[in-house]
Amino acid sequence: MWRRSASFVLDKHQNNKPISLTPSIDSPPPHSMADENSNPNPISAYYQTRAAHHGIVTSDWLEQAQAAVRRYPERDYSVSPGRPFSVIEEFNNWRQQPDLAEAVAAIRALAAVIRASEATTMMELEIELKKASDTLKSWDTTSISLTAGCDLFMRYVTRTSALEFEDFNSAKSRVLSRAEKFGEISCKARKIIAVLSQDFIFDGCTILVHGFSRVVFEILKMAAQNKKLFRVLCTEGRPDKTGVLLANELAKLDVPVKLLIDSAVAYSMDEVDMVFVGADGVVESGGVINMMGTYQIALVAHSMNKPVYVAAESYKFARLYPLDQKDLEPALRPIDFDVPVPPKVEVERSARDYTPPQYLTLLFTDLGVLTPSVVSDELIQLYL
Amino acid sequence: MPDVQSTVLEFVNKLRKRKIEGSQATARCTVELLRSVISQHRVPHANQASALIDAVKAVGEQLVAANPVELAVGNVVRRVLHIIREEDLSLTTAAMGGLDLLDASDDDEDVCNKGIGYPAMSAAVVAAAARSTLRPPSLQTLLEGTPESATVPYTSSSGADSESKTADKSSITRKLKHDVIESVNQLIHEIAGCHEQIAEQAIEHIHQNEVILTLGSSRTVLEFLCAAKEKKRSFRVFVAEGAPRYQGHLLAKELVARGLQTTVITDSAVFAMISRVNMVIIGAHAVMANGGVIGPVGVNMAALAAKKHAVPFVVLAGCHKLCPLYPHNPEVLLNELRSPSELLDFGEFSDCLDFGAGSGSPLLQVVNPTFDYVPPNLVSLFITDTGGHNPSYMYRLIADYYSADDLVM
Repeated sequence: MWRRSASFVLDKHQNNKPISLTPSIDSPPPHSMADENSNPNPISAYYQTRAAHHGIVTSDWLEQAQAAVRRYPERDYSVSPGRPFSVIEEFNNWRQQPDLAEAVAAIRALAAVIRASEATTMMELEIELKKASDTLKSWDTTSISLTAGCDLFMRYVTRTSALEFEDFNSAKSRVLSRAEKFGEISCKARKIIAVLSQDFIFDGCTILVHGFSRVVFEILKMAAQNKKLFRVLCTEGRPDKTGVLLANELAKLDVPVKLLIDSAVAYSMDEVDMVFVGADGVVESGGVINMMGTYQIALVAHSMNKPVYVAAESYKFARLYPLDQKDLEPALRPIDFDVPVPPKVEVERSARDYTPPQYLTLLFTDLGVLTPSVVSDELIQLYL
Repeated sequence: MPDVQSTVLEFVNKLRKRKIEGSQATARCTVELLRSVISQHRVPHANQASALIDAVKAVGEQLVAANPVELAVGNVVRRVLHIIREEDLSLTTAAMGGLDLLDASDDDEDVCNKGIGYPAMSAAVVAAAARSTLRPPSLQTLLEGTPESATVPYTSSSGADSESKTADKSSITRKLKHDVIESVNQLIHEIAGCHEQIAEQAIEHIHQNEVILTLGSSRTVLEFLCAAKEKKRSFRVFVAEGAPRYQGHLLAKELVARGLQTTVITDSAVFAMISRVNMVIIGAHAVMANGGVIGPVGVNMAALAAKKHAVPFVVLAGCHKLCPLYPHNPEVLLNELRSPSELLDFGEFSDCLDFGAGSGSPLLQVVNPTFDYVPPNLVSLFITDTGGHNPSYMYRLIADYYSADDLVM
């Protein structure tokens, strides 16, 4: 109890710190994922408070403090002398495509690193890749799928080199071709997930959807194409207007859509048969990190015995284990109310929340239909 | 082959007419039928695994279509397919090394040892690809792309070992069938012995002076309770009679014959008596991949009562009952409606149930479902022949027993 109130006081101190520490927000947020904004306040106040109270410097806190210090020089870090290649530029180029998931863009950017690399041994290549991967990760520390994608690729590269090839060039070309094919895997993953979920959508069902996930949209599109009769309730998804965007797209497919304000979820939960959400990241416990509001909806659905289905590609599995909402790195984004808000009124600007696994029924991934407990198994198999 | 065809058709008929009762008997008959299909199937020299798989799949589809609610049939067919794939894989990894054909017990070891004296790319890459066909898709194999089919190892082995291996190849032919049939025999043995395996664990779960509740009649539960009795535990059993078939009465008789103190109660009395019970033990008809249980009608009620009173709900299931599918409308799709005559005496109710009178469809309807679905959050423990498991662990067992390619038949 005392911790919370005390941190409230320290938070205020934190907010009075000079703004020079914050890097400018890079580009206008893309329409779908709200978490891609750079974190304006890189050092989480929460961790600082804990460290101060307990007198312990946690490793995360240290890492973040170091990252904050390194932030500006970090920009030039990826540009080695004599080579005008920047992995961040490459990444941004790939990210522009609306259909490409963030992790896929990261992997493609790393593939470009390999292509441009002048290394002659696998070890050198790995070191270069590690540097590039760290740069990408630190560019946006809040994005989970970005981190997960980079980690996945690094694991793959280190595993490939060890056993199977004696010739460096053939190994390099194999890794390169794999990385370039990964973009197709992303689209294929969405198709696979859509096929797996078709059985769960029956005629006459009502589906509640939160947030504009491209995977969930693919599922609904395929169901509509298979002539299934169902209707969709979209939450408004303030402040991103995801609900309106999704409703427009679904209306084009002739699917009956109803828009709800976020507060009307419990009111309508009675007539809902199932809830479908996407995921920004799937964590080790089997829970998901998704747009703000998902936890709320999952709680309501759970209390009314409605199944909650999560559709996520497998490269979103991340090695995180949040114990509560504040364990995530805060991804803040500006919220504008229509009336001006006086400066001394605080606004909760976090963009995402964590839904614990006990409120989720099933996860649809390209690895198959999984229960939340399978996720940690998969992660262990990959990372151990 | 006409001989096999006629046995298949006979079996399909039996399934369709529900002549075979009980999942264990069904599973055994199915496996024995598949064994004769395999042994009598003439395999070509190349791609024999695929030929076998196709043959088994063709028969399996017929069997599953005959009785889709009896999930043990589909489970066992998929087990056999998995066995074929596994044996094929172990034979090819053995053959590629140019060593004597041995039952490669550990695929990985073999591959590493052979990687040295070989064109490194072909052997190891192909082996890795073959390995990944057998494992379910995972994060590890995600970036390895679509694995080549199991037929590739054949072409590469024939290419690399062209000189002296023709004699070995024909012995490979015979060996695959032989190995598969051996494994299938093991499977039959496993299915037949599942009761003993499960009953062995009884002593760990049933303690002195406990009260056990069960519903309906299950041979597994009977053996389980009797095994505990043998080990000198004294406990009491409440048997819910399991209307409308009243099989609980039969179970009660059996238990008394073995010397156990038994109480018979109606299904409606379960909620009333649950507070006096220490543990609920039931036998399952099938266990789904998410840990949900298909059991005789009434178990959902017992499970809810147990949850309400924090009584452990234990489900006994042999390995042939583990189904790799996820239930998406189990109350309807995995259920069977039996004859209304079990509920109502047709003579007394003939005027209500008459189709001829009035508007053509009778005002009185009778619904007599056979099965109930229990969601995984109500189950405390599964006891299979491999031991006790959490419901959230069932996917692991399923990944071990089945291949991902066989899920859709």
